Amino acid sequence: MAPGDALLEVRGLRKRWPDGRVVLDGIDLALARGEVTALLGPNGCGKSTLLRCLNRLEEHEEGRIWLAGELVSEGRPPGRRPGRAEQLALARLRRRIGLVFQQLELFPHLDVLGNVMLGPQHVLRRPRAEARRLALAALRRVGLEERAGAAPAALSGGQQQRVAIARALAMGPELLLFDEPTSALDPLLVRGLIEVIRDLARDGIGLLVVTHDLQVARAVADRVLFMDAGRIVFSGTPDQAFGGQHPELRGFTAS
Amino acid sequence: MTRLGRRSWPLAAALLGGLLACRAQAPPEPGAPDPGAPEPMAARAPAGTSLRRIQDEGVLRWGVDPAGGAPFAMPDPRDPRRLVGFEIELVEQLARHLGVRSEPVEGDWLALIDNLRAGRIDLALNGIEVSAERAQVIDFTVPYYRYGQQLTVRAADRDRFRSLADLAGRRISVLNGSASVDVLRAAGWPEERIVQYDDSLAPYVDLANGRVDGSLAESIIAGYYAEAIRGLHRVPGTFAPGAYAGAVRKGEPELRAAIDAALERMKASGELGRIYQRWGVWTEEQRELGIARGPAVERIPLASADAAGGLDWGVVLRELALATGTTLALTAISMPLAVGIGLVLALMERSRRRWLVVPARLYVQLVRGTPLLVQIFLAYYTLPALGEAAGLGKALVWPAFAVGVLCLAGNYAAYEAEIHRAGLEAVPRGQREAALALGMTPAQVLRHVELPQSFRVILPPIVNDLVAMIKDTSLVYVIGVRELTAAALGIGKARLLVPQLLVAAAAFYLVASLAADRLGKRLEARLRSSAAQVPGARRLA
Repeated sequence: MAPGDALLEVRGLRKRWPDGRVVLDGIDLALARGEVTALLGPNGCGKSTLLRCLNRLEEHEEGRIWLAGELVSEGRPPGRRPGRAEQLALARLRRRIGLVFQQLELFPHLDVLGNVMLGPQHVLRRPRAEARRLALAALRRVGLEERAGAAPAALSGGQQQRVAIARALAMGPELLLFDEPTSALDPLLVRGLIEVIRDLARDGIGLLVVTHDLQVARAVADRVLFMDAGRIVFSGTPDQAFGGQHPELRGFTAS
Repeated sequence: MTRLGRRSWPLAAALLGGLLACRAQAPPEPGAPDPGAPEPMAARAPAGTSLRRIQDEGVLRWGVDPAGGAPFAMPDPRDPRRLVGFEIELVEQLARHLGVRSEPVEGDWLALIDNLRAGRIDLALNGIEVSAERAQVIDFTVPYYRYGQQLTVRAADRDRFRSLADLAGRRISVLNGSASVDVLRAAGWPEERIVQYDDSLAPYVDLANGRVDGSLAESIIAGYYAEAIRGLHRVPGTFAPGAYAGAVRKGEPELRAAIDAALERMKASGELGRIYQRWGVWTEEQRELGIARGPAVERIPLASADAAGGLDWGVVLRELALATGTTLALTAISMPLAVGIGLVLALMERSRRRWLVVPARLYVQLVRGTPLLVQIFLAYYTLPALGEAAGLGKALVWPAFAVGVLCLAGNYAAYEAEIHRAGLEAVPRGQREAALALGMTPAQVLRHVELPQSFRVILPPIVNDLVAMIKDTSLVYVIGVRELTAAALGIGKARLLVPQLLVAAAAFYLVASLAADRLGKRLEARLRSSAAQVPGARRLA
């Protein structure tokens, strides 16, 4: 039953909405270090929910998740609230799994540096000077060091997204999750984003990118997963995925 | 405002009466006698008695309401923080006989006896008429002044209204709660024609203004005020005589005996007679109480509207500025407390635990649904009784200022809770998730993400409440805090310049409110312009 040497391994994940609808219907997947995985699927297929289950912003009911061989979640019956110990475990898990939201959710009351420093300072409990150093390093990585003092609202959409990435990076995550990262970017900026993602993979971070943009998936991913109705219906290389010989993908790729 | 205060008082009194089933008993308080005090007249009282405590502390705390005004007790026109009046001198002299110093404790006249029973004071002496009703709840000392009821009418009506009977069916003004009210009731006056006022001056002002046709008061009051206001005529002769006496808690024979002995000495020696002459309240009837007139002394001049030219506005304005300091201190302490307690209440209400939600909601509804004035009266007069009942002794006998802060902070907290709730709800849900996704605990999310954003939203309504509170602090004057309104009324009544002083006080309130508003606006602007500036980033630039 012990997982292999995968960075993240998920087995038998199931989740229902409170109204009884099944949203995740037995998900199995494994992600490797330094690998970019694209998760595709039609709207409402459960891909964003799966992403939120991985860092436990949502709780699933059945199934297990291992992170670097450590069992981090066994699911939780609906309605039960986490106790103090479980909240701390949650916080520890989320330090290791970064999430870049579709809406970015930068903190408007802080400047760029403040946004990126918040995690190292208060979650990692680093001294202020060191938290600043970590934050500046993360900003340098996304090429935004010189905008550290700007208000998030003063930046362009592409720059804001890179701040959101830097905010997640500053925590030193092992796995980084992206929820529809290209939905608000114009094509020129999409190229820049793809470069950033590839660059992070080279550093050994695992990446899972939820998208419905086939071009992006093709350009960025080492592996492609297709989801439909709460199940993963395809797993393979981009070439396999977009080669056209898989009937279960035809409906989606054609649309 | 004062009128409202009196109206709401019976409720508080009724509650208090129920709570105060047992009489207050002072615990023995060890302490060395003041070495500077003169030789006490009486021997050391038995340990555990109030008299012993008074002797040990060297202070006689006694209750008086300066709103009753001259010649009983009023703020000194030259130094309005001091009280002057014949009763002030009387108790000073009395305390000297007991070998202690006198410390007047200001409070609402109708609550003097409650303050006595709560243990804030050991003697109430302020024109309290001896009556069988009062004797059931307190013990009277020997009487110190003989009064009669005297009627005052407008000078133009002097031939029309020569007696109470001539005024049948007309409205008559009286001092609230005084024996005059009982006299009118006994004479068949319906309640709606007995117009009661909180202070001694207002009945005569309204008589001069024509809102009432006569004014009935104890001769001592009539003699002072009817003379000070032009166009009024005192109908000669007095009726329905009675006497003033001090009040002490029941069950304290040692204290009462010591005060009685001192009073009797002062009566016989002419000390009391001299005080009465100085204040122009000496009458031959005083001899019935065994008071010797003593050697003739000159009467101190009356304050009157004519003396307005002599009012030193420099002194008055300084006095009002000082009282404004008290008003601002009340606000400056209460408002941050209110914002803090309000936040706790808001967080309780947001909690998913019913045992937190229910008490918070209950508190907010209860406090918002009842008048601040009633809360102030209740807190001031029932907290001591509650403390007593809970076995805390005198732990809840707080000074008026502290009770004022408690009520203002507690009352505004309910409103600030609602503001906090709205502010926290205005922070988008995604912000919370983004912070949680960083690995923050819910407490950290609140502290570093939700509260800073909420604060920007709620600052304007909080500044608005701050301005409102500056003015609401005026309500605590009913429990004797000498803030701006109390100071203005005190000086105004002492000098018969109430309208002028109220306008001056209003100007002070206006300036304070404008300043607070400006401060708030500047803070808002600063937050807006530096929406994103954290110190780290500034140093980077």
